[in-house]
Amino acid sequence: MSVILETQSLTKRYGQFTAVNDLSLQVEQGAIYGFVGPNGAGKTTTMRMLTTLLRPTAGEAFVAGHSVRRAPQAVRRVIGYMPDFFGVYDDMTVWEYLDFFAACYQIGEAQRQHLINDLLELVDLAHRRDDQVDTLSRGMKQRLCLARTLAHDPQVLILDEPASGLDPRARIEIRELLMELSRMGKTIFFSTHILADVAEICTQVGIVEAGRLVAQGSLAEMQRRLRPHRTLAITLLDRGAEGVQSALFGRDGVLSVRVADQAPQGQAEHAVVEVDFAGDDAAVSALLRELVGAGLPVLRFAETMHDVEDVFMQVTKGIVS
Amino acid sequence: MSDTAATAPHPAVPRPPKRAPRSLRAWLTRNPVVLKELRSRMRGARAFVVLTVYLLLMSAFITLLYTVYLSSNASVYSRPDRMLLGKFVFGGVVGIEALLVCFITPAFTVGAIASERERQTYDLLRTTLLSERALVLGKLVSALSYVLLLLAAALPLQSLAFLLGGVAPEEVFIATLLLMATAFLFSAAGLFFSSLMRRTLGATILTYAFALLTTVGLPVLLFPVALLGPVFSYNTPPLFVQAALVYAFGLLIVMNPVATLIATELVLVNEQTVFYFTTTLYDPVTNNPVVLPLFSPWLPFTLFALAVGGVLVLLAILNVRRIEN
Repeated sequence: MSVILETQSLTKRYGQFTAVNDLSLQVEQGAIYGFVGPNGAGKTTTMRMLTTLLRPTAGEAFVAGHSVRRAPQAVRRVIGYMPDFFGVYDDMTVWEYLDFFAACYQIGEAQRQHLINDLLELVDLAHRRDDQVDTLSRGMKQRLCLARTLAHDPQVLILDEPASGLDPRARIEIRELLMELSRMGKTIFFSTHILADVAEICTQVGIVEAGRLVAQGSLAEMQRRLRPHRTLAITLLDRGAEGVQSALFGRDGVLSVRVADQAPQGQAEHAVVEVDFAGDDAAVSALLRELVGAGLPVLRFAETMHDVEDVFMQVTKGIVS
Repeated sequence: MSDTAATAPHPAVPRPPKRAPRSLRAWLTRNPVVLKELRSRMRGARAFVVLTVYLLLMSAFITLLYTVYLSSNASVYSRPDRMLLGKFVFGGVVGIEALLVCFITPAFTVGAIASERERQTYDLLRTTLLSERALVLGKLVSALSYVLLLLAAALPLQSLAFLLGGVAPEEVFIATLLLMATAFLFSAAGLFFSSLMRRTLGATILTYAFALLTTVGLPVLLFPVALLGPVFSYNTPPLFVQAALVYAFGLLIVMNPVATLIATELVLVNEQTVFYFTTTLYDPVTNNPVVLPLFSPWLPFTLFALAVGGVLVLLAILNVRRIEN
């Protein structure tokens, strides 16, 4: 996989304030890259530099090999940008809105007719073709906005908070649209703070905090790196957690043993023990055999999956610049 | 293509002309901004209501003029009187058009850039391939085309003057030219302030300040200059001071569209010339006559409006910077 979007020590300072600090990231071609971070972390500023709206103070960024500093017009040709607000014109119908932006991308009038129909079909707005833009619902506007970014068939989509402020249905529709676009071969770089989106659709994640990139990679990679061991949750039929503790204490591969404060709901007679364990699948299997062999009443034995929120909480420190 | 042409044994098929003849619509709508602005402007009833109200007001004004004229002692059957009425009708229509051009034209462009900023569509435009020049010129052309429509719609009313007599074709031509030049100047001013300010409100205040200064402020400035005349009449000043005063007065006139219209008409009537005339000054020492060359005010005013308007448009293009710092 080749890198299609790259920043090299990208920095933006406003006087004393550093909005983006020495940020270097790589987005692979065809990836859905989730750019995650708290509000004010510098996500929008980074995107504005990538879309040639803002001049970087230092560092460089390349999109499809074109420098945002030296060849901004070439960058504009290969990106579709959707900001975190929806720019509306009064007195404009849906198709005119797309027609105008397609014309701004130098697409001829004859081709535009066809293109607009295709785009509206793609974002499921064909039935609203002749309606005024300001009568659309928020979710529809967002889909129209997405259609606009596709007018010139760009390779890379840079989307700032595409799902913010949408109701659950509209959010899922946008998410599915992004998957569809990814299947069509687009690289998608989007910022969000909805971690469920990241977990479900992103192939790559970058976490940014106070203008710095604190982690980057696939979600699985990040989980492995952050937690080199696995956590096993062992549910016991009775409250005899001490038996497990004594059985496991000091055993090879066991890093720590904790008795969970609360039993699973409605099962007050059960006890749950969490074990941090370093070992492969065979070792886990052996561990279970030992516990059962020792006569412990094991009801459930499962590995806890760390979700993206754990990862996020672990790599960020709650600093808001 | 050139390779095949060079190696082809038979004479190449004549190429189509580089610029195929285009329709006016195709020419206008090559710029996406013009297309969009015209669509939005002519949408719905608004544009037509404005046009109708404008024509009704103008017709009412002419009717009023006509009634006043009839109630006076003048007679429609007397040729000189009729010519005077013709001049009044023409002058009235052009006067209203001048006011319109001075104070309504800027409103068409004052939101051009600032409102894109306010609606946050400015960022969207800047990430497209649309050039700064196409954006600014598109806004200018679409605003001017509506003004042109308003001026053209008033032509039949202006033509009533021909029915009555007393108005020469030169006057119609010059009046139209002056109005267009003024429209260009004030549209350009609106565009410039729109590109300068973040908000439409700020741009509006500055643009109207500019319009008021050129239309009302300058005539106020004319007074002191005019008052200097009697001061000097007791003691004739040196020749160069006299000449400087004449040109300073002329300069102030040609910076003001309304003064230019009136002065041009005066020159036309008194000097019987459209372009060039002279005035004679006397050297106070030798008492020798010196002939001072002067242009009819419409000529320098048109040049002034085109130059200043052009500079303002250029500055607006420079202000529409694509990449923020």
